Amino acid sequence: MKLGYVELCGFRGFRDKVRVNFGPGFTVLTGRNGVGKSTICDAIEYAILGDISKYPIESAGRETVKDYIWWRGKRPPKSHYVILSFVDETGKEFTITRSREGGVDKTDGEIEAALCGSGAPDDPLRQICRTSLIRDEWISGLSLDLTETQRFDFVRAALGSVVGSELATKAKSVVGAAESACETAEKTYDLTRSRLADVLAELSKANDVAARNPNVASAIAVVDAAVPSDAGDLARRIDIARQDLPSRHRRLEGMSAAVFEGRELEAYRASMNSLEAVKEREQAKAKLGEAQTARDTAQAEVDKANQAYEVVAKANEVAASLSSLITHGQALGLYEGHYCPLCAAERTDIEFAEGLAAARKRMTDLGAEVNAAAETLNLAKAGLSQAEGAVSAAAATWARYEGQERTLRLREERHIETFERYQIKPAYASDPDELERQALVERDELVELERALNALEASRAVDAVASTEARANALRRDLDVAADELARAQKAVDFAKSLERNVRRSATELVDERLALISPLLNELYQRLRPHADWRSIEYSVRGDVRKFLSLRVGDNLNPQFVFSSGQRRAAGLAFLLSVYLARPWARWQSLILDDPVQHIDDFRALHLVEVLSSLRQAGRQVVIAVEDEALADLLCRRLLSTDEQIGRRYVIDYGEQGAADVASKQDVAPMATGVLRRFDGIQAVS
Amino acid sequence: MDIGTQAEIVLREAGYDTWAWTGASPPVICFENAGLVGFLHVFDTADDLLRQWEEAQQRVLARHTASLRAAGAKAWNVYSVFLTSQAAPDLQPQVERLEENFSLTRKIASTGVGTADDLVSALMPLLPIRAQPLLHDADVVERLRSRAKDLPASALLAFLNIPNVQDVAEILGSSS
Repeated sequence: MKLGYVELCGFRGFRDKVRVNFGPGFTVLTGRNGVGKSTICDAIEYAILGDISKYPIESAGRETVKDYIWWRGKRPPKSHYVILSFVDETGKEFTITRSREGGVDKTDGEIEAALCGSGAPDDPLRQICRTSLIRDEWISGLSLDLTETQRFDFVRAALGSVVGSELATKAKSVVGAAESACETAEKTYDLTRSRLADVLAELSKANDVAARNPNVASAIAVVDAAVPSDAGDLARRIDIARQDLPSRHRRLEGMSAAVFEGRELEAYRASMNSLEAVKEREQAKAKLGEAQTARDTAQAEVDKANQAYEVVAKANEVAASLSSLITHGQALGLYEGHYCPLCAAERTDIEFAEGLAAARKRMTDLGAEVNAAAETLNLAKAGLSQAEGAVSAAAATWARYEGQERTLRLREERHIETFERYQIKPAYASDPDELERQALVERDELVELERALNALEASRAVDAVASTEARANALRRDLDVAADELARAQKAVDFAKSLERNVRRSATELVDERLALISPLLNELYQRLRPHADWRSIEYSVRGDVRKFLSLRVGDNLNPQFVFSSGQRRAAGLAFLLSVYLARPWARWQSLILDDPVQHIDDFRALHLVEVLSSLRQAGRQVVIAVEDEALADLLCRRLLSTDEQIGRRYVIDYGEQGAADVASKQDVAPMATGVLRRFDGIQAVS
Repeated sequence: MDIGTQAEIVLREAGYDTWAWTGASPPVICFENAGLVGFLHVFDTADDLLRQWEEAQQRVLARHTASLRAAGAKAWNVYSVFLTSQAAPDLQPQVERLEENFSLTRKIASTGVGTADDLVSALMPLLPIRAQPLLHDADVVERLRSRAKDLPASALLAFLNIPNVQDVAEILGSSS
């Protein structure tokens, strides 16, 4: 990207429209002092930045540089504007127009995109102007006369940003955030400590008061014994003890019941296990067996009698029918006198009467047999009934004994359940006396605990101790949290600082490495410009960690700032500024503009500068240079390369007829003839 | 080192057309590019250089008068280079002072030209700028990864990836 042209109207000393078409190779601006050569350079800077930075004092009285940007002379111009044109390698044009009325037609971003490539530093447009435009006023001021720190910053800024350099800012912000958090955590921690100290002092006083009350002191001892101290502060332990009282009461009731039941069971078991009781149970069991056997025998007899009775009874049913027949036959008598009405047999009356008598006897015999069988059956039944009664009585007796054993087992099971329910030692189950002693101990403790609780709850001192202890414990917890938070915050600060150190170190290493790379360039330019006859090279070094210094040394570690003359400082300063200009990897715009760079420099060193510029031209750089000296302008036009493709131009600036600056003349510098020495090489004789 | 031959190598590398004019002994190295012409004279000693430079210059200019007359503005850009390999510290100031004599040609004069580097230094005004700093993009992140070994990986990761600095500070405290 090179300068194409600058057109200005109503700008500073140029009232009328003036256009300078820069030579793609070089442009030499010449003219007397004050005719406006520098204004051309100003216009370039103003178009890019919107201001002019060459004035060290930006305001005087109520006026600033801005008040002098536009024409202030007589006869107002037609317009007030600056147009700056750039042309890239493909011929594409990029223009910036700034006018008094309309402002600028491009954003800074658009201008940056056109003039700067990747890796541009902060405020890239100012940096590119500062390093592309070397003004007479600043040659020493921006080089040797800078402090070493300013010099370092100047070069670092000009070289462009290191990728990721914003990390340094971020790391610093992280440190700030971590330190801020740490400070807050530290304040919280200190405040909590302070509060805890106050509360502990208060607690100490409360404890003293409580200790002076023996009842309270002994009551606290009772509570301590009942509720372990790790359960919490005193108030908490009193609360726990109070809540625990019903269960202690229930346990004691359980223990009392267990004692009673244990003794009952013991007696019951003893009565059941006595010799008499055992004998009685055995007899009862034997009686039951005997009764059951007798009952079985009686049953067999009943069954037998019953069978006999049934046989006789059946026969007796026939006898009843016979009786009816006898009665009927006797009532009827012999049919037709000689026939039996019952069997139709021919009978006599005697035979008939004998037959009836025999029948009556038979009936009488059968009745006697029935009666005898019935009696026998009744007797057997009575025996069975008696045997069953004996069985029932024996079974009842035996059932009573069995019931006693079941009752014993049931009561034993319930007894054990009572132990389990109240968490009584099982060993006491068989030792009610020991259980009773234990119950008495616990009862005594319970009574004492209730007394202690009542005493403590009634005591205001204890209240104070309890509440203060609670506050102290809460503060201890707060302090733990605050200490943890502080430790975390301190760790974060340590890490953040380490991070910042590492980021700074990394960035510093990279910047130092980059700065070291331009040292040979500076030295070469110094050697070319030869500010001093004896000190032919310059040492360039970067030092410092937190603050960085870029020092320049000549000869035996001498500071050129203090040993060089004004002219030598300017020559060395030019070497410095040119090396910075050449070392900008990010600058797409590569024109070099020098505004009167040879003041106070003798002809010999001016020649060196011209040769350096010539080398830059040979490398294809566009050079724009404003000089007052016509002879120097001639020299520049001869020595800077002008080609058909990259022509050089010379402008003479002077006051016009109306007193405003104007272009007095413009001349294209023709390319030099080539091959001139060889052209006549063969035809000249050796002299 | 043959200064003449080595000078031709250096100048040709710098884009000059060079050749030797044998009208003098040792031969004068003539050189020319788009902007200037010049003659390089080699002397055995610094004393010879001081005594003979003017005559040598005169002789070669006279030999090339026609060329220079036809060169137009280029005739203003004539260099005379006077070199000797003899190291003569006492005479070096006198030799160098020749460079401040602007009559007829721009002069470059030096003694003790014993190496190619000495020659390049002497011819520096004629050569392109040699030092070309290669300022590649340098990535702090990559350098930081190799430097921040004392930090937990999680902390570095948070720092590089989380935009909010308060969040980063919080994570740093939790890192272990």
